[in-house]
Amino acid sequence: MRAIKGVLLTCDAAVKQILLIMNEQQSFIIEDLDDHHLVIKADEEYRIRRQLETELEKNTYTLES
Amino acid sequence: MSLKRSAEGSYQGSSKRVRQTADQEDSIMDEDDAIPPSPPEDNSMVPRGATINLSALTRKLAESKRKHDTDISDPNLSSLDIHRRQQNALVSHIFSTQDFSFLHLKADHASRPIWISPEDGHIILEAFSPIAEQAQDFLTAISEPVSRPTFIHEYKLTSYSLYAAVSVGLQTDDIIEVLNRLSKVPVPEQIVTFIKSCTVSYGKVKLVLKHNKYFVESSHPDILQRLLKDSVIREARIITTQTDNSIRANTFTTSKAPTKGNLVIPGTKEAEKRKDGKSDEDLFTSVVGVEGDEVDEDDDNVHAFQIKDTQIDDVKKRCNELDYPMLEEYDFRNDTLNTNLDIDLKPATVIRPYQETSLSKMFGNGRARSGIIVLPCGAGKTLVGITAACTIKKSCLVLCTSSVSVMQWKQQFMQWSNVTDRQIAVFTADQKERFAGESGIVVSTYSMVANTHNRSHESKKMMEFLTSREWGFILLDEVHVVPAQMFRRVVTTIKAHSKLGLTATLVREDDKIADLNYMIGPKLYEANWMDLAAKGHIANVQCAEVWCQMTPEFYHEYLREQSRKRMLLYCMNPKKFQACQFLIKYHEDRGDKIIVFSDNVFALEAYAKRLGKPYIHGGTGQVERMRVLSYFRSDPRVSTIFLSKVGDTSIDLPEATCLIQISSHFGSRRQEAQRLGRILRAKRRNDEGFNAFFYSLVSKDTQEMFYSTKRQQFLIDQGYAFKVITHLDGLEELPDLVYRTKEEQIELIQSVLIANEADADLGTDIKSGEGDLAGTVTSKDFGMPGTGSSSSNRFPTTHRTTGSLTGLSGAQHMSYIEQNKSVNKTLPKASSSQAAQRNKLFMKRDKNLQQARKERAAASGSGT
Repeated sequence: MRAIKGVLLTCDAAVKQILLIMNEQQSFIIEDLDDHHLVIKADEEYRIRRQLETELEKNTYTLES
Repeated sequence: MSLKRSAEGSYQGSSKRVRQTADQEDSIMDEDDAIPPSPPEDNSMVPRGATINLSALTRKLAESKRKHDTDISDPNLSSLDIHRRQQNALVSHIFSTQDFSFLHLKADHASRPIWISPEDGHIILEAFSPIAEQAQDFLTAISEPVSRPTFIHEYKLTSYSLYAAVSVGLQTDDIIEVLNRLSKVPVPEQIVTFIKSCTVSYGKVKLVLKHNKYFVESSHPDILQRLLKDSVIREARIITTQTDNSIRANTFTTSKAPTKGNLVIPGTKEAEKRKDGKSDEDLFTSVVGVEGDEVDEDDDNVHAFQIKDTQIDDVKKRCNELDYPMLEEYDFRNDTLNTNLDIDLKPATVIRPYQETSLSKMFGNGRARSGIIVLPCGAGKTLVGITAACTIKKSCLVLCTSSVSVMQWKQQFMQWSNVTDRQIAVFTADQKERFAGESGIVVSTYSMVANTHNRSHESKKMMEFLTSREWGFILLDEVHVVPAQMFRRVVTTIKAHSKLGLTATLVREDDKIADLNYMIGPKLYEANWMDLAAKGHIANVQCAEVWCQMTPEFYHEYLREQSRKRMLLYCMNPKKFQACQFLIKYHEDRGDKIIVFSDNVFALEAYAKRLGKPYIHGGTGQVERMRVLSYFRSDPRVSTIFLSKVGDTSIDLPEATCLIQISSHFGSRRQEAQRLGRILRAKRRNDEGFNAFFYSLVSKDTQEMFYSTKRQQFLIDQGYAFKVITHLDGLEELPDLVYRTKEEQIELIQSVLIANEADADLGTDIKSGEGDLAGTVTSKDFGMPGTGSSSSNRFPTTHRTTGSLTGLSGAQHMSYIEQNKSVNKTLPKASSSQAAQRNKLFMKRDKNLQQARKERAAASGSGT
């Protein structure tokens, strides 16, 4: 089997759920360890972080909006 | 809020800063070469973007600049001064466009409490200054409060606020002079020009109803001449054949201007009325001087010409276009045509100082001005309205938003004034009364009066009665909810001499507030919530936002669902359930009376049943409702009730001291304020150290966070601070904690998922009645972005459909099958984590299998 370079991601339960949903569109999770840990593909890490950021930002109120 | 905004301001600045530093670099270099520093004025004259400044920082900067004389050739400069100057030049680039150091501080700046931004007219006030109170009185008169937290207040000069200032009798020069006295820096040139340009025309022309004829009145004849040059106004003019002095071509009727004279607003102490501020601080004699000036000014002769009644609207509009907006005043004491209404406040009725202040703004020169008075919920708006009516003593029309408040108004009138049952009439869909005698009071709703559709014979006759006569005074309750269209209809059909709008929250989510300014009049008075709380007129409230984690199962479903159901999911979050249970327990033990608010009826019932508490929503019958409420009021064992939207306004519960919000109407700032208002009038508010509590339970990582912050903005601007509670201590130890186990939680999620789409709607329990308005409790659109007011009169719960007998007896049971499916979907959810633990290879195969199964199911589903 081909080896995949992975990154261990520690997150809270809610973020994990967001990641699982994101994973359905474009799979990047290698291993779902438990409620707070995931192993994801290393080369996807940056994209995931950015996408997660925008996702979480949606629930934040700013005075401009 | 000012803090927040300034943070943004500096953030915006930072993007510019990159560019700026390049320019600044040279000047810094110069400094190092010991060339006399270029005064910072050079770059400060460049117009700046509209940003607000962290006043403290700016002040600090300006302070250090103070010794920095512009006169660089001054030989007396000490080495320290030179050093300072160089230092200043070094830091000035940090503030880039917000470097206001060119505004030199006055020598005694420390004792002066305000600072004015030269760009946008924002005024920053040090609320801790010893003279802050006087300064506040002045600032509320000339500007609009933006934000009033504990220490630093922010006000804004707008053309409307200056208009209001003029309308209460302040003069341009006095405004500038007092500002100058209060300000740490000389009033910037831009602000002076702004004030002048706004005030020079405002309030110079008045529209007066005298002897039932409309007059355009002014103490400046040249302005009247100018207005008459306009064709629209000229046509509207009625030329009275005057026989006496026709020396001038355009003779205006000239008369003595009124003074306040011996008008006494009932309920106020006459002696206090007379003091007029003469006992005020000597330092601010100018404020007093302003009032003196006003009298002098008014003693001049005023000039007037008459215009046709039918063209009032055109003239008003035209005057606005000509930049001479007309003030509307009613000289009710000299109105002999309309019979007086013999009402007065009951002798026992005493009005509070702030109510008196607001009324003195209205009756400042012995006439009634039209305008809006803003007072917090529970601070006695009704009494202000009643006192105003008792001052004018003419026929009065009261308009409110729903038939419930119609009855409340009537009852309040009976309670506070000596009006008899025969003098006060009610006009709603159910009741159509007329008062006996020549004059009286009619209480009605906006929609009853504004309705243009078919009416019953009775209400048509009632409307004729309303339109045929002249009203001395029209009282508009909850004025912020009235749509412009409806309002215009009310104003044009009813002939009233003066209008008073009352509201607690002059905010709308759709920014239509500005319309009120020209339709009713300027904001006459806005109370400071914190001030009233400090003086014990309203309760002290501790606000807190409790963050509840979503359980993974709920969050997973939340992410999958569409918006309507999402709401249900974050309301029903088991962690929220637990937090609610914990808070109820905690406050019951303290002896508090608790109201739990939920907009969502499904959640309301689920919570109430699970926690074993009584609840009231729109579907609750009248008898049951009364029983529950009386238990809540008197029985110490019932100290918690759950209320839906019905409780937002119409149910009065002065016993309540603690409020928990589990679901709310999106980002409605008004609802938040209204709900807070439920505990502001707490009976026990005058007890030593008494605090009321206001909790919002918010599910973390959901849209609710967004809405919750948005909702709080209004209260934050009023000076309330929301604490965030992320963890409730001792929650886990609660003996009978609900939904402790995962099984229970999954059970809960299933019940939520089975729930109808309709259950996710807010406020479904209340049907809007005929007399109700969009934006009030009973309507669904609470100023939510996106929904127009078109949906306001829908009946949400019941709808009739026709169907075949086979269909109704179960042959069309597709929907049941669908629902079962969606429950099933939750079950594999728990096992999905198992699937994740499998090797990736298998996962892919599983996915394919599932796909195939789905396709097959879809094919067979469409086949049947």
